Amino acid sequence: MNAIRKRDMQGFFRSPLGYVYIGAFLTIMNLYFFAICVLSSSSDMGSVFSNMLIVFLFLMPILTMRLFSEEYKQGTDRLLLTAPVSVWEIVGGKFLAAVGVLLVALACTLPWVVIIAIFGEPAWAGIIGCYVAVLCASAVFAAMGMFLSSLTESQLIAAVLSFALFLGLYIADMLSYSLDSGSLLGTLLSWLSIFTRYDSFMSGQFSFGNLIYFLSLTGLFLYLTARVLERRRL
Amino acid sequence: MIQVKGLTRRYGDIAAVSDLSFSVAEGEIIGFLGPNGAGKTTTMNMITGCLRATAGTVTVDGADIETDADRARKIIGYLPENPPLYPDMTVDEYLEFVYKLKKCTLPQEEHLDSICDMAGLPDVRGRLIRNLSKGYRQRVGLAQALIGDPKVLILDEPTVGLDPRQIIEIREVIRRLGQKHTVILSSHILPEVQEVCDRILVIDHGKIVADGTPAELSERVEGAEQLSMTIEGEPAAVLGVLRAIPGVSEAVATVEDGMKSIYRITAEPGADIRRAVFDALSQHRLAILSMQQVELSLEDIFLELTGAEPEPEAAPVPVDEVPKKKRRLFGRKRGEDK
Repeated sequence: MNAIRKRDMQGFFRSPLGYVYIGAFLTIMNLYFFAICVLSSSSDMGSVFSNMLIVFLFLMPILTMRLFSEEYKQGTDRLLLTAPVSVWEIVGGKFLAAVGVLLVALACTLPWVVIIAIFGEPAWAGIIGCYVAVLCASAVFAAMGMFLSSLTESQLIAAVLSFALFLGLYIADMLSYSLDSGSLLGTLLSWLSIFTRYDSFMSGQFSFGNLIYFLSLTGLFLYLTARVLERRRL
Repeated sequence: MIQVKGLTRRYGDIAAVSDLSFSVAEGEIIGFLGPNGAGKTTTMNMITGCLRATAGTVTVDGADIETDADRARKIIGYLPENPPLYPDMTVDEYLEFVYKLKKCTLPQEEHLDSICDMAGLPDVRGRLIRNLSKGYRQRVGLAQALIGDPKVLILDEPTVGLDPRQIIEIREVIRRLGQKHTVILSSHILPEVQEVCDRILVIDHGKIVADGTPAELSERVEGAEQLSMTIEGEPAAVLGVLRAIPGVSEAVATVEDGMKSIYRITAEPGADIRRAVFDALSQHRLAILSMQQVELSLEDIFLELTGAEPEPEAAPVPVDEVPKKKRRLFGRKRGEDK
């Protein structure tokens, strides 16, 4: 599992893609940070982080599209499937590689914390909560993107599918606001929405329910990916 | 070492491989011979556990590929038709990755060094796989299969796409590997399997149509001899002389070129007509410019072998029970006779 994780992470940074990716992420996020925190002299990082998930909505497909599609295309899935590793190790390794890249991206935002600590009053619990929340929510996206990548040989199709899914989830979330708050569909959509749960995290409400929701959704897509891999042998 | 029982693979209604059974002894080099689409790759994918069988079992060194997959996979090294390489890695990085992926416990540096020597890679270890030639990629693929020192090596068309010199080198490597490993390789090239393998399984339409050593098989399909000759003389006169020779069943001019045409002469089964042809032509003062035995094409042999089956569904008949058919399986070039 570790070998696969390491290879995939290195593979990402072996091409310019990795640097362009992190660079784009940081450029956009730093603009947010500058606009929200620096210009208005606010130490509220929650507002920055609530935008971060939207940025990941666009960037995640590019990160996850290659995970399996590229292996299929190169024929290297044979190597993984005939190695003495289980499909769980393959799926786990790939997922951790994607999360690893996310961690690198997040680590690059740590200077914000330093800036706020120097010039303002950091709310430590809130900041830690922000990082945990964005990690959990983007892990759901990563698992979904990986699952879609396991379905197709084409990276482009994987990326388009992932983007469509994430955007669909986002629109469903917006729909839940415009629907009557009492209606069944509205309640259901807002209960299911990753964004609603994420925002409640950002506003400082830590809830195990949300955490468990993110983790189980991630687990579900990891499971589905493993099933797809097994199905490929059929 | 390897037991295959009733192996079947269906895609919808089409059976790519049906009811294949054979076993391979330890240290044997066995060749799958068959035309494209015969089911060689499908069979290999099932033996390695890449593909699940619709029915049947594969046991490798006592470990079932389905129920005891981890142990079975550790025993098998697999080189698929397209070597599973990551173009963005260097050879060294790649081999190190495979080493870790296979959870190999041999001392890493020495093991990888010896594999690279074996596969002829020492000069390119620092280079990106993307920049390697097809021949070197094939060798990296082979090196990958060797990691972990597996008892069984499965090589799918290991020489496809290589130039003649590389083919000879790879064959040499395979023969050396055969001393320590049990090898299954596939090919649609006759001389290749003949040269390297101890035993040949001829596969067609997902079934074994013949099973035996190269010698046994060539005996089984010992066939009518064909000669290709360039003869100086008037084509009509030459053909007249050739057709009059006892033992000649057919003579045709394949390339008409005035006084130096090329003829194809088919002998009656079992007859060696070379001496008679020489005698007859020299009597008529027709000069033989070249004489060569014609190599049978793979298609001919398959027609012969599949036609020899009484029923398509019948189990493969052991070689020694089949009535000897007079046809040569391996058109060995015997050089020019006179």
